[in-house]
Amino acid sequence: LFPGVRQAQWLTKTKLVEGLPPAVQGIMDDPAHGLQELEERAKHAVSHARLWDTAQVAPRREQYCPVLFENLIHICRLMSGKYPSLSKRMLARNCRIAATWERESILLQVRGLSGILMNSMTPIPPVASKEEILATKEHVLETFYPIAPTIDLQEVNVYKELNDTGQCFGDGYPYSHPHTLFFLESANVRTDRFRPEQLRAKMLMFAFGNALAKAKALHGNDPKVLEQPVVVQSIGTDGQLFQFMVFQLNTTDLVSNDGVKNLVWIDSDQNLYEKAQCVPEVRKRVVTKPAGISGFQPDTFKKFLALYLHGTV
Amino acid sequence: MAALGARRLLRPGRRWFSETVPAAPSPPAGPLYPPVVASVTAKSKAAKSRRLQRFNQRVHAAATVEEKLRLYGKLQRPKYAVYPQTFALNADRWYRSFTKTVLVPGMPPRAAAAKAPVAAAGTTPEAGGAPEPGAEAPGAAEAPEAAKAPEPAAGAAAYLDMGELRSIVCDALLQESFYQKKKRPFLYRDQDHTPGPFLTQLVSTLAAFLSGRNPLLAASSLDLNPEVNYYWHHGEEVVVHGHRKGRVDPVRFQIDDNPHLQIRVPKQLPEVVPLESDLGDVPVIDHKPSKLPLFKRQYENKVFIGSKVADPCCYGHTQFHLLPDKLKRERFIRERLEDQIEVVYRSNGIASLFAWTAAQAMYQGFWSEADVTRPFVSQAVVTDGKYFAFFCYQLNTLALTAETIKNNPRKNICWGTDSKPLYDVVEDGNVKGFNDEVLLQLVRFLLNRPTEL
Repeated sequence: LFPGVRQAQWLTKTKLVEGLPPAVQGIMDDPAHGLQELEERAKHAVSHARLWDTAQVAPRREQYCPVLFENLIHICRLMSGKYPSLSKRMLARNCRIAATWERESILLQVRGLSGILMNSMTPIPPVASKEEILATKEHVLETFYPIAPTIDLQEVNVYKELNDTGQCFGDGYPYSHPHTLFFLESANVRTDRFRPEQLRAKMLMFAFGNALAKAKALHGNDPKVLEQPVVVQSIGTDGQLFQFMVFQLNTTDLVSNDGVKNLVWIDSDQNLYEKAQCVPEVRKRVVTKPAGISGFQPDTFKKFLALYLHGTV
Repeated sequence: MAALGARRLLRPGRRWFSETVPAAPSPPAGPLYPPVVASVTAKSKAAKSRRLQRFNQRVHAAATVEEKLRLYGKLQRPKYAVYPQTFALNADRWYRSFTKTVLVPGMPPRAAAAKAPVAAAGTTPEAGGAPEPGAEAPGAAEAPEAAKAPEPAAGAAAYLDMGELRSIVCDALLQESFYQKKKRPFLYRDQDHTPGPFLTQLVSTLAAFLSGRNPLLAASSLDLNPEVNYYWHHGEEVVVHGHRKGRVDPVRFQIDDNPHLQIRVPKQLPEVVPLESDLGDVPVIDHKPSKLPLFKRQYENKVFIGSKVADPCCYGHTQFHLLPDKLKRERFIRERLEDQIEVVYRSNGIASLFAWTAAQAMYQGFWSEADVTRPFVSQAVVTDGKYFAFFCYQLNTLALTAETIKNNPRKNICWGTDSKPLYDVVEDGNVKGFNDEVLLQLVRFLLNRPTEL
């Protein structure tokens, strides 16, 4: 119904910045990481997922979306030959997230299976500087008067206000900092998949939920402005279109509408490739479209890799 | 005289008794009639062999590998479906006879720059791969058995940090079994709950960690839950009933396997022993395959390594198999079949690896009439989450059909270990009784690479 990101922004008291933060851009542009050679491998990864992975003619989205994700993560993980600290990451699949907060006297809760979460031993350093954080004080959250901001949200009777991230923190879990969340929209039928706008809203809500739970675990349940902002990244895809997001939680004081806001950088609708032709298209005995991947955009993969490397490089 | 007179009577232009040698023989020097061969359509043995020859020529002459595979598996007939993970008793003997494989217990001796012998403590193998002067390697091999094996290994290989590897493994184990909150496992799906994700985590992190050491891993492709299929003929039988009753048919087999994980690489692993080596005997079983029990079905004849022919990573490196709940150890112990536990691991290793290596060979254009010119080597790890068994397979021959096997002295070879536990128990966030040997073997597997790299 609504441009979901704007609604999510209000609910999480967040200011939106278009494009990726400069720290991530810096990783992308740094030639020392050898991102050029990985282009070839990324292209193979895409071809494998979209064309070669099955004994049938063409794999379906339910198959190629996770396979593409696994291939890209495999390439990123192989970088830990170069950066040994990358091995301090742990992938957790099917983890359940729960976080609760109050927003202008409305109790909100985020719960559910949030896809695949990557944890790391060390937290991501804050992306925005102190000045930028303070500058958000002046930013006014847009309201949707007369529409209540909780429209389209399910109202439930909550008996337990849960705050946990699906792992046992207290037991000395070494990989205690949520690093990146991955969302794969892999349903075959288009109506079962989230549209890009809704996917971005979902990513925002879950990133916020994870960050909030982590912040509450670190600093306690009292609402306050955080000294050390918690940064959580999020990547969502449907096998072709990628949405990148970096979320920084600056404050857990979410009841009021003023004060320091949280920040989110969104880079949306990045195509990794234009078309994957499984069988060559032939019109009147002439091959018009050869089989293969066309329109490969290496930049999208570079952003993926930069978000992966962010925090350890 | 009479001849002269006769000549004058002839029409001009016709040189009947001409002295000149004809310029070219007007009939061709070859045979006057087409070759006399057996018919193609008759119901006779000669016709059948001619049809087979024509089929072989068609496959030989196929332009691309895809076309070859298509022709090879075009005719569908009932075939035995061979399952690598099976509860059949003594299945590994049967599988060895189907695939002409010799089972050699233990692991193959690593080349190790051909200098150092196989060290009991297992320190040498790293030295073979690590780019150090060969002098260190014999030194390390001698130093050995006072072996707090990890420490000398770390010293000699100078990079392999056992502590680091151990922590990676323990973290993966704890993450899956202890730290992450999961629901209770579904009925009879215990393997998908903990050991499955553990294996995935373990292999992906270990492969990434070791990719700095092994450039082949850095160019590898990891498949999750891939499909591996292979179709072949072996032996002959008489058709029992039906409209084709009484005809002599090859016995057809098909393996359809789903390893939990596999690593495919763009370059082939080096051969372990030369192509024509003979390391043992292939068991001969006088019964029909259906006595195993094995059942016939007719469906598509697939040959697939995990991805299509166009993929550059067309050689196999390592497969990881997870044994299902149906074949868990407790079940065998309860039914007093303890000796069959190892049989399960072995049959899985042999069948899966044969299918994989043979499919790789077919992707390179070899088939039963065009036998392999170089051996294809792949590795596999079969586990049920706690116990690990390691297998290495060298495919020396694809010629297993009744005609081609007659003069074929080559045999395929499979090296395999028994299953050993990786750890004893996981309690309270601690892994107790960790076994370094198993980890070392796993690492050695992952570090395996061609000698020129």
